[in-house]
Amino acid sequence: MGRYDCMPVRPLNVGVIVKLEPDFSEGNVSYNPDGTLNRAETKNILGPHSAAATLAAFYCKVKYDARVAIGTMGPPIANQALRQAQIISNADELHLYSDRIFAGADTLATAEVLRLGVSRMNNGLGADIVISGHRASDGETGQTGPQTAWKLGYPFIGNVIDFHIDQESRSIQATRFISLYGFYDVIEEIQAPLPVFISADPSYKPSFNTVSERLSLARNLNEARSKADNYEKYLQVYNSEGLGADPSFVGLPGSPTIVYKVEKIPKARAKRRVEFIDGNDAAQLETVAKKLLQLMTEVPIK
Amino acid sequence: MERYDVAVVGGGTSGLTALRQLSNLGKQAVLLEAGSVAGTKNVSGGILYSKKPKNGRVYNIEDVFGREFIDEAPYERAITQYILHATSKNKLYSIDLTPVHEYQINYAYSVLLSKLIPWLAKEASDLSEKMGGGIISGVHVKSVRWEKGSNDTVIETDELAPFRVKAVIAADGTNSELADVTRARNKFSSEQLYQGVKVVVKLPETILEERFNITSEEGAAHLFAGDVTMNHIGGGFLYTNRDTMSLGAVYHMDSMMDSPVEPSGLIDALIQNPLVAEFIKDRVPTRKSNHAMISKDEEIRQHFMAVKLLKVWNNLRSEYYSKDGIKRLIESGKYKTKEEIESRITILEKELIEKYNCEFGDNYVELEYSARLIPDGKRCRMKAPYYKNILFIGDAAGRGVFIGPRIEGLNLGIDDAVRAANAVARSLDRNNFDEQYLGSFYTKSVEESPYTRDMKEIDKEYLKIFLECSKNIPKDIVGSRYGMIFKLMSSSTLRGIAVGFANMLGFDRLLPLVESVDTYVNVPVELADRLGKPIDSNYVPNTPSLQERIAKLDYDDDSVPHIQVTKPRSEFMQKMVTLCPTRCYSGENGDVILQHEGCIECGTCAYETIWRHPRGVKGVSYKYG
Amino acid sequence: MSEPTHNLESNSENLGIAEPYQHLYVVIEHEEGIPVPISLEMLGEARRLMDNFNKKYSSNEKVVAVVLGDNVRHLCDDLIKSGADVVVYANHPSLRHYTNLLYTKIICQIVEDKNVAGSISPIGYENYKKPRYMFFSADNTGRHLSSTVMAQLESGLASDINKLVISDLEIRHEHKTKGQLAKYDKTLEMYRPDFSGFLWTTILCLDNRNPAIAREYHPQSCSIIPGVFEPITKEDQRTGTFIDFEPRISDEDLRVKVLSRNIIKSTIDFESCKIIVSYGRGIRDSPEENFKLIEEFAKSLNAEIGVSLPISKRPYQTKDQHLLSYMVPERVIGTSGRKVSPVVYIAIGISGAVQHIAGMKESGFVVVINPDTDAAFRDECDLFIRGRMEQVLPVLTELIKKHMLTIEKRA
Repeated sequence: MGRYDCMPVRPLNVGVIVKLEPDFSEGNVSYNPDGTLNRAETKNILGPHSAAATLAAFYCKVKYDARVAIGTMGPPIANQALRQAQIISNADELHLYSDRIFAGADTLATAEVLRLGVSRMNNGLGADIVISGHRASDGETGQTGPQTAWKLGYPFIGNVIDFHIDQESRSIQATRFISLYGFYDVIEEIQAPLPVFISADPSYKPSFNTVSERLSLARNLNEARSKADNYEKYLQVYNSEGLGADPSFVGLPGSPTIVYKVEKIPKARAKRRVEFIDGNDAAQLETVAKKLLQLMTEVPIK
Repeated sequence: MERYDVAVVGGGTSGLTALRQLSNLGKQAVLLEAGSVAGTKNVSGGILYSKKPKNGRVYNIEDVFGREFIDEAPYERAITQYILHATSKNKLYSIDLTPVHEYQINYAYSVLLSKLIPWLAKEASDLSEKMGGGIISGVHVKSVRWEKGSNDTVIETDELAPFRVKAVIAADGTNSELADVTRARNKFSSEQLYQGVKVVVKLPETILEERFNITSEEGAAHLFAGDVTMNHIGGGFLYTNRDTMSLGAVYHMDSMMDSPVEPSGLIDALIQNPLVAEFIKDRVPTRKSNHAMISKDEEIRQHFMAVKLLKVWNNLRSEYYSKDGIKRLIESGKYKTKEEIESRITILEKELIEKYNCEFGDNYVELEYSARLIPDGKRCRMKAPYYKNILFIGDAAGRGVFIGPRIEGLNLGIDDAVRAANAVARSLDRNNFDEQYLGSFYTKSVEESPYTRDMKEIDKEYLKIFLECSKNIPKDIVGSRYGMIFKLMSSSTLRGIAVGFANMLGFDRLLPLVESVDTYVNVPVELADRLGKPIDSNYVPNTPSLQERIAKLDYDDDSVPHIQVTKPRSEFMQKMVTLCPTRCYSGENGDVILQHEGCIECGTCAYETIWRHPRGVKGVSYKYG
Repeated sequence: MSEPTHNLESNSENLGIAEPYQHLYVVIEHEEGIPVPISLEMLGEARRLMDNFNKKYSSNEKVVAVVLGDNVRHLCDDLIKSGADVVVYANHPSLRHYTNLLYTKIICQIVEDKNVAGSISPIGYENYKKPRYMFFSADNTGRHLSSTVMAQLESGLASDINKLVISDLEIRHEHKTKGQLAKYDKTLEMYRPDFSGFLWTTILCLDNRNPAIAREYHPQSCSIIPGVFEPITKEDQRTGTFIDFEPRISDEDLRVKVLSRNIIKSTIDFESCKIIVSYGRGIRDSPEENFKLIEEFAKSLNAEIGVSLPISKRPYQTKDQHLLSYMVPERVIGTSGRKVSPVVYIAIGISGAVQHIAGMKESGFVVVINPDTDAAFRDECDLFIRGRMEQVLPVLTELIKKHMLTIEKRA
């Protein structure tokens, strides 16, 4: 009876790992004469996969009234990614992990920084569910998320297209979409106790199916927009010391892999130069057949 | 099932006005919009009017949204000039109709709905949220039902669980699905409709102002009748926005059915008119294909560089030619003087010409192609615009004013919206949603609106001003066709009687006379031939193909078609092959088949199809509107 | 045995010191006991690399296939025939379906197990710590699995690899070698294409020789792009070692549960096709006959068949069920259908609407067959064959079959 009838459910803490990436769209991207990306001249945006992850966090906020913290490792301008992520998710806390010694990190060394950061999220309570994007558009290894998960000791669940949290049993039920090349596609339902680490499939779109959820969505979006105008208020910056990092496990020193060399392979299609063939000329068709077979047997750089 | 007080269906200007008015009155309402964001599916000609009729009152948008609308809303320009051109090839005869346009108005603003509506939506939703309601977008209402033993209406959508409301305001446009599923009215037929099609053209701000001879506080509206209509009843229009123009044509659907022409072809005819061509002209870069033997790598690199440089040039030039743009550039510290900016623009052009095969020449820049159907209120307004506890407003109720050069829609919807909101609020207070209490009350209110009067009879004051403006037209051009009536009209003494007589005859008899090929084509052509001034344009505008126009639009096509063809062999459908603004119909062995991808949801084909909007978020999204 | 012709310094085996890092372990992916194609491709490349490795360094390191599952022992023989020297198989009911947590744990148990190493190679396993190299598949499962396994093994991973070379390198690196020139023998050069830019990057996983941060990083690992490498031709007479592994599973490890698994109707697999043949309204004069020609042609090239959007609306009356099954939305290429980028794209009887082009413009080499040289496609192709499909296709199909035979005879 009385006040103790409905015990408040322990709030849900969500963490998101995002990345600031070059904007590869035409008109925004710049390439050097040698064909490498001109990062200085190219605008940076919140990576599209990071945006999907942020949306998943927003879903938690709208549906479960969760507390959302977003973190990124990068140079000082990476706070732009945080600002954009806040507009999407109405986040409560923004973390920038930035230190010169973090530079040159491969995924293992990055995961080390991120796992230290995540444990400091949400006023030090960490996260019950950590969300990352499928991969980054530059770099694109898709490794950082799972490695951060492993270092945190959280089970990693990838390619999530939908999920629900049961706050009473503190568990998650997630739907995964797996493509098996040359085979078929599989939809899996997974269940696990919190805490977990999930990566949002690039196609992830949260769905809110009642009027009240949609109204909550609209209210949260409005709140997010006004928060983003003032995002420094929510920003915490951590350097290596602040995270308690061991310098030999972060940055270049902590990276097993290095980039040895870089070569150019043009990807974008230049305007094609068409060659006309007379379909009635058997000799010309013969060269076409040979060309097709030659292309068939070459190893593709996909 | 969740329960709310009111549902407003449709997030255009009418729907948002209804939502805001309900919130003004402290009522809870939820607005449902199919587009991903309110404003992405709206198109207007477009000019928004605010009126002060001498007899009676109308509700204007600032009455609902407050003075903030006038001070802060992102409308484009105040239209202060209104000129009608009669066209015949390169000759134009112009009539200044500004006094006509200013008749009983507070103001007229040119608008781009995809910009304006988000502002209205924010203003409406901020207040509505305080009342426990708000705006939900990306949701398509598919039907309504009434359950036995309950007065509530259940709303069913493609995306959400069903929910209950006490009253509904239907603001879902000319092709109102609510009107269709409830059978509240028949679908509008082609005599009752106009098809409007337009393009948004870019022109830097100060160049535009110089071109039209206006200041930044002024705007111009130019109308066209004559050979540009390609023998259809209707005309062309060109409205100045801030740094763009709305250029389009509105034609009586009937005359389009009689001699079908592709709507985009009508736009092209307008663009080729020399006065229009000169109005829209700008300095436009094109990239020639490179015939030099360079490697593919280099070609790609050049492509990306050129695109980037063009973007820089475009941005700098737009800024230079915008109000206070030069000041801003100098304040930013990047440039010290105006000449420095100009020289940078020249340097950029030089680099683009020399290194990247660009050419700069006269052409125009088209941003967006759109089309919609508009109801002719004289012929199809709903006399009883309600069904049970659903009130129909604006286009959904068939309300639009078309009288010669006077075309109004937005302001009517706003007036209806307020009346409907007031009626619903009254019903909420008494908890009475019966037709006698709600529907009839609303109908009476709408009848009292001066706009309704304009759909029933000729306003003789308006006519007088029109005739005053056209007094220089030689009577023999018009007289031989309209004879007696015109003689009467032109005499000020007899005009009063003539108008009274005309109103007794009724619109039905007069309309065929006024809305005829004579009025919209032959007379203007003759006027232009005889009295027109020749205008020469020194370039030929390069109009994009329809494919290119469609390619620029933003779509999220649903895999499921939203329109069903029920009569693949009917004459009507055969004409749709030509009349669909985006060529979604094609004929294959006598059957007309639909390719719904690319549909811009104008409704031209609605009359003989099962016509629905796509599911929420799907379909077209306009950037300008 | 011939005299070894290698550098004494670099092959410690010759001096009798057992190496801590040995063998190439390949993590096999299978669906209910059937190997996913990438698994055999990885084994093929592993076989080739290790054969060269063993020849060059006069050693005897193995290709070890790692299989986890429930009652899929029959798969193991297949793997030996496909190039594995050894198959380590962990059988357990809870390994029936992949969960990252459990699979990562068990794989790490296997690859760090000295006894397993002893069974693989009875000589020289005393100092065994971890694999020298590891391969995973670069698909949804493999990419995540490789990441967590390498996090546990604390070593380096390069993902989405499409070229591999083992070489002896001399490297100078600010951190790893403290700026000094150092020799790194038996280094795996891992090449990965950068999908969003121009770059083909080579990644190396190298020990830190710098005393301040000295650390050994093995295995050198990568996840491999499906469809790049060729499996070896199956050798029925190949033999190998089979090792049963008893996985150590705790309750904690089982906390992630797969509740259900539904195979969804296979979508047309355009991704793994090198060639795609599409057709459009050009078939209108005789849809059934023309489609037969198109199908023959596509078959000769091992190509998948796509359609233009109007075709999916079934504009032609036909009772031919087979043809109808190809006039479906799932095969549409374009903005409202699939976006493809095959090595070769052949468009037959398609005019080249903007929406269609948008779906295939990333293709490598584009061929158009169309009688109308004014068709929009002329601006978006590399080869425009002017002619009617009824004339061109039969001739082209024959020529391709003829030349295909010549190639096969030579091989």
